[in-house]
Amino acid sequence: MSELFVVGISWRTAKVAVREKLAFREDELADTLHALTGELPVTEALLISTCNRVEIYGVGKAGSDVPTVVRQWLAQRRSVKLADVGEALYERRGPAAIRHVFSVASSLDSLVVGEAQILGQLKDSYAFAGTAGTSGPVLSRAIERAFGVAKRVRTETAIARGAANVSSVAVELAGRVFGDLAGKSVLVVGAGKMSSLAARHLYSNGAQRIVVTNRSPEKAEALAEEIEATARPWAELEQLLAAADVVISSTGAREPVLTKAMFKKVAKARRYRPIMVIDIAVPRDAEPQIQDIDGVYLFDIDDLDKVVAANLAERQKAAEHAGKIVEHEATQFEHWMRSQGVVPTIRALREKFAAIGDAEVAKALDQLVRKELTRDQQRELIQRVVQLVINKLLHQPMAVLRGSAPGDAAERASVLAELFALEISDQADGELAEAVPGDEGTERKAQA
Amino acid sequence: MTEPARLLSVAPSPAFWVAVAAYSVATVLLFVVLAGKASLRPTAIAFVVLAMIAHGTDIGWRGVEHVHPAESVREALGFLAFIVTGGYVLASTRYRLTLGGVVVMPVALVLLLLARLTPAGDRPEDLSTLGRIHISLATLGVGIFALASALSAIYLVEDRALKRKKFEGAAFKDRGAPLESLDRLAHRLVWVGFPIFTVALALGAVWTARLGEDLGRIEYLLAGVTWLVFAVLLVARQIYGWRGKRAAKLTLEGFAAALAVLAIYLVRRIVG
Repeated sequence: MSELFVVGISWRTAKVAVREKLAFREDELADTLHALTGELPVTEALLISTCNRVEIYGVGKAGSDVPTVVRQWLAQRRSVKLADVGEALYERRGPAAIRHVFSVASSLDSLVVGEAQILGQLKDSYAFAGTAGTSGPVLSRAIERAFGVAKRVRTETAIARGAANVSSVAVELAGRVFGDLAGKSVLVVGAGKMSSLAARHLYSNGAQRIVVTNRSPEKAEALAEEIEATARPWAELEQLLAAADVVISSTGAREPVLTKAMFKKVAKARRYRPIMVIDIAVPRDAEPQIQDIDGVYLFDIDDLDKVVAANLAERQKAAEHAGKIVEHEATQFEHWMRSQGVVPTIRALREKFAAIGDAEVAKALDQLVRKELTRDQQRELIQRVVQLVINKLLHQPMAVLRGSAPGDAAERASVLAELFALEISDQADGELAEAVPGDEGTERKAQA
Repeated sequence: MTEPARLLSVAPSPAFWVAVAAYSVATVLLFVVLAGKASLRPTAIAFVVLAMIAHGTDIGWRGVEHVHPAESVREALGFLAFIVTGGYVLASTRYRLTLGGVVVMPVALVLLLLARLTPAGDRPEDLSTLGRIHISLATLGVGIFALASALSAIYLVEDRALKRKKFEGAAFKDRGAPLESLDRLAHRLVWVGFPIFTVALALGAVWTARLGEDLGRIEYLLAGVTWLVFAVLLVARQIYGWRGKRAAKLTLEGFAAALAVLAIYLVRRIVG
């Protein structure tokens, strides 16, 4: 019977200096997957390599030590000593591997719990394994179920609620003030990297246009070009503020550039329409007192960090519920896996029984066609056929049972009793020899 | 024909008790939702809808028993609560208004209880068609102002949470309606309610004059103050762009004056 396993390294077990030694580039994935299934006793394989984890999911023979072989192979493949990465490498087999992939897909094992990126990366890796021809029925079933579990976790818990980075917080806070960002205008004051990221995030979330202003017009032009915005002169700052809905400021100024006096005028010019100021500069660009003006919402970098912390705390709470969902789904999946292990046996048993039945029925029909039988003879024929089928079905198991060593025999007898729901009494022991034919002679007697 | 005095003291219908129970459960559930049990939100809203249906059924049942919703201020209070609940349900289809619910539901419950369980008093004399139209329009206008006030109250709570950076508080975590939408919706409601209330006030003045009553009574003066506050609000917004916190506070002040009028009417009816 085959078994799912995972061998990997993640942010939980190793720092980036170690993780990067085992990471794979995208153009290396296909060769690696083919090598895994070609060189090792691995029938199915999937490889995921992100900044936070490198993991090989595979299917090997249950009870065999494939994961250990894969560890050695991985170290060798990346030309590192196993001793250097051995402690950071983890392996999970069977049910533990299933729980692991469900947790990974649901983002419970991510650095930022609830982030959606890992699910997309897992989907890409799965698609890649499909294209490379290294995914098979067990892996497919496990990974696709993992996608289902991830969806359930995101739907039924608050694990993905609330922004978890500064750019997303800017969008979330803007949502609290404006709701829909459609038609809103963003003003970037200064040409800092963080402010351009936040502005771009607001733009991709529906904001209508971005305007950049900076003391150095060249820098403003360069940033505007980079983020597809419009550059405006620094001298127009007050007018630009009056026209903006969201202001993201990150200049390198030592003194505040956004003052209360300026915002009093701006608020009046805006007819007190709300304006949100996100000040991510250190030292701060905005005087804290502008917060006192009606309709002006000011958030500095500490505020944004506080929102992130509050959201992450909420996500951690949701992770407990999500863990229960993963546990439940993993148990269900294990049951399914176990049932899949007996399917070939059930199929073979059915086929064997059907063949015996068909053969005896064919013989009986032949007799019916060739001879004119009375009703009594027909009844006798049917009884004989039934008896023959029973004898043939029971012949093999009985022979094995009788030929077993005493300890084995008792165990096998108990399995049979369970399988056929037998009620066994002491008397039955004596009757067994008469009831169940054990040799060809008895069978021939029945045929006669 | 049934005697008017008896009509006014029609016993509450079974639907009334269902409404009372549903309002109570909805209030508790909305508090639980606000405390962080977000999964109970659909159940809470279901109870709000049940309360509204039961409340409407109770008003309809009283109508069958010939008790007009504008028969008296006492009856009008029940109708006012129904308008507020209906408006809340409508607004909830678009925005998450848990915060508003924990205010609106208990208020609607108290208004309904006042409308049904306080002493009925005598039937007002000379309750003409003019009087009924006045009471109906005044109730409708105040109901709309009540909705605008509920939204303004939510605005002030959310604004405070954002300004004071209360990111751990229920007002922030509930992710309710955005500030700009609350402000806009409250303003539109005042625009709709104001002409209705103006007509009601004018008809009331005519009705009072016909009855020969003194127009200088405190409730009439307070009704005038209510009208003046909302008029100032609309003009200031139009001319000076007043909005947000200032507009929300003014809306609440106008509604407080309207509530004072209702309270005086109710007390007069009870104590005679």
